[in-house]
Amino acid sequence: MPHRLELIGITKRFPGVLANDNVSFSVKPGEIHALLGENGAGKSTLVKMIYGIMQPDAGEIVWDGQRTVIANPKAARALGIGMVFQHFSLFEALTVLENIALGMDAKIPARELEARIRAVMTQYGLLLDPHRTVATLSVGERQRIEIVRALLLDPKLLIMDEPTSVLTPQEVEQLFEVLRKLAAGGCSILYISHKLHEIKALCDTATILRGGKLVDTCDPKAETSRSMAEKMIGAGLKDIVRAPGRTMGAPKLVVSRLSTKKSGHFDVPVDGVSFTVKAGEIFGIAGVAGNGQNALLDALSGEILGEDKDAITIDGYPLGLLDTTGRRKHGLCAVPEERNGHAAVGDFSLSDNSILTARNRLHMVMLGLINSGAAKTYTGKVIADFAVKALGPGSTAGSLSGGNLQKFIMGREILQRPTVLVVSQPTWGVDAGAAAAIHQALVDLAAEGSAIVVISQDLDELLALCDTLAVINAGQLSEAQKVGEVSVEEIGLLMGGVHGTSEARDAIPA
Amino acid sequence: MQFRLEKRAEPSRFMLYATPVGAVILTMIVGAIIFSLIGYDGIGAVREVFLTPLTNAYKWQDLGIKAAPLIIIGTGLSIAYRANVWNIGAEGQFVVGALAGTWVALATYTMSGPWILPLMILAGVVGGALYAAIPALLKTRLNVNEILTSLMLTYASIQLIYYLIRTVWKDPMGIGFPQTRRFAASAQLPTVIPHTIVHLGVPIAIVVALVAWFIMSRSVFGYRMRVVGAAPHAARYGGFSENKTIWLAMLVSGGLAGLAGVLEVAGPFQRMVPGFATGYGFTAIIVAFLGRLNPLGVIFAGIVLAITFVGGEVAQTTIKLPDAATGIFQAMVLFFLLAGDILVRYRIRRVVTTPAGAA
Repeated sequence: MPHRLELIGITKRFPGVLANDNVSFSVKPGEIHALLGENGAGKSTLVKMIYGIMQPDAGEIVWDGQRTVIANPKAARALGIGMVFQHFSLFEALTVLENIALGMDAKIPARELEARIRAVMTQYGLLLDPHRTVATLSVGERQRIEIVRALLLDPKLLIMDEPTSVLTPQEVEQLFEVLRKLAAGGCSILYISHKLHEIKALCDTATILRGGKLVDTCDPKAETSRSMAEKMIGAGLKDIVRAPGRTMGAPKLVVSRLSTKKSGHFDVPVDGVSFTVKAGEIFGIAGVAGNGQNALLDALSGEILGEDKDAITIDGYPLGLLDTTGRRKHGLCAVPEERNGHAAVGDFSLSDNSILTARNRLHMVMLGLINSGAAKTYTGKVIADFAVKALGPGSTAGSLSGGNLQKFIMGREILQRPTVLVVSQPTWGVDAGAAAAIHQALVDLAAEGSAIVVISQDLDELLALCDTLAVINAGQLSEAQKVGEVSVEEIGLLMGGVHGTSEARDAIPA
Repeated sequence: MQFRLEKRAEPSRFMLYATPVGAVILTMIVGAIIFSLIGYDGIGAVREVFLTPLTNAYKWQDLGIKAAPLIIIGTGLSIAYRANVWNIGAEGQFVVGALAGTWVALATYTMSGPWILPLMILAGVVGGALYAAIPALLKTRLNVNEILTSLMLTYASIQLIYYLIRTVWKDPMGIGFPQTRRFAASAQLPTVIPHTIVHLGVPIAIVVALVAWFIMSRSVFGYRMRVVGAAPHAARYGGFSENKTIWLAMLVSGGLAGLAGVLEVAGPFQRMVPGFATGYGFTAIIVAFLGRLNPLGVIFAGIVLAITFVGGEVAQTTIKLPDAATGIFQAMVLFFLLAGDILVRYRIRRVVTTPAGAA
């Protein structure tokens, strides 16, 4: 039997980068094939060429034994290639059915389309009401729409780009069931991820990319997570080093009944959140994206102004009514999830980006004038201490890679020695090497007696990093629990929260 | 073979400064072609509009007094536009500033003293800033688009001139002309170079631009304006409230437009007349962009646009170019500048496509 898909010597160049360098591998019919690599390893570029979004500069694509040029996504779909993107393209105000109809190449009468959607959903156990509005659906349910959309084309190859980054552990299990059923029916699956335990649980073969080059094609079940990770980053992994015999001090940050108002139509506000973080403690907040994490970070940092001065206190001092500048002066620094345009200004130099948050704490302002020399010196220190790959303090933030910019931003806040540091998604889209460095820096800051809050969707990260864990769901925070005393299943159920779990149980026929 | 736009890793500093120059040169070339095609002496038109004001020393003083209001207003607009606050109504603030100055001049008509002119200037600045406060209030309280409100208020301000000079401020000796009486000597802007028409407004314009440059590049105020414009979300994170920025941007740009207005009425006009609003406030929008929203650039851009005003008048008499020609040249400068802006972030690359599978 010929391979379903074979790539021979695929090369793709971008200005200044070789995104894919002579990559060759093949996918058999019915095989679940993992494409593994760090951010920037060239996974996305490679699948974009398979899906016809880009053309390779050199090399060829062989489909069912035939050399093929895939001119555009429509041609890819005609061949039987489906793709589920990491970021959904759904209209929130429309129903499931309307969204699917909009994405179809051929015009199909609504009644017939609905019948076909129902048939596909029953076949794979993907239960969804076609008449529900997308805005009312959870992220896992939204992903199901994208999967149904791809399955309606009866694909022979389904590309899944980081599908589990927004799902609860239970939803991940449901997704895997669907994918296994599909594979059993002969559909090949190209599964892109950097989560190693998922790949070990799901995939038959794994192709590992690093810096655009193919490193290895292996059997993930025969490898350990560590051995695959080391192939992926090309070096030995560093473990987080914790000082032995750490003790936590007195409560530093006390948040009590913190709430925000609903601002946008689809925005999730924070609803009566209370928690306490002690000196030296790393407090994790888990949760599926879109459950109020953004509002919580903005309410803590001061971007959303509060109405109750005692809702947030540091060492008993009330900060609830202060703006970001006032809170920073009192030792509360924050790092939002979005790097470009929120935590940093892409068009500004790194030095100017230091001024953004460090100007008052580090006395860079005198009589309304900025001391650019002080900003430059501090920026140089951040670059050196956090091994940021940049030409110097004059480089623009936008010219840095995601991981390097994140290291700079974390360094900029950590070197201000905040009493309390609140960070959201500290290693989102950051390569493993940089992630380890950021984790270590957070642990070191806590060891010096700061209280740290980490908001993240990556449960593995929180379990490795935090002392205490709570889960945010629909804007409400669960009871805090000690890491080590709580099971992943329990956290998963909390993450599923009120919506999700009951429907999810209905969704999978036993 | 084809051409492709390719994103640059960093915005090109060379292109940032080269595109304004390129835009002016392209305007000359295309202007020559267009005016030739419609039956004028196209090359002569470009020569008269762009070169005569420079080569004829007698025109230099005209350039100075035309460039001064453009530079002052353009500086204010460059500050507001940096923060993405789109004050399009500088013309109205220019007029209200002039009216406020006129009010002081008429109220002190029988008096004299060196305090009158500074008081007029203060009134002009306050008047312009207050007029700009209306769009700022509507924007921050009710989220009304400042482009619309500031623009519409311009037309209201011109009606205000007509009303005032036909009624309460009408010149008693004016034999029915709708204009105010000529200001008393203490209310007239002195000339700085003897035997010319170059008034005190010209050095003031240069000082305003230099001070603004220093503030924009060195102060927290300048940083605030730049960061709000570049990334509003990051500005909020950095502790700069959006509403306060809108207020600052509108008040500063309105105040400077008002300053230009009072200098204009106390200098070249020396009285308020129906035709006072000649469009400096609108042309200053082009000046701000051509100067790359940088007060130093605004000085040069103000001179370039002043050249087209002076040259346009020259060309009207020498080669009978229509009055509208000046506007066409000015609009072309803005058009080519905005089009050329893409080269700052992108480069044009010739690509030779190799057929896929040729490896």
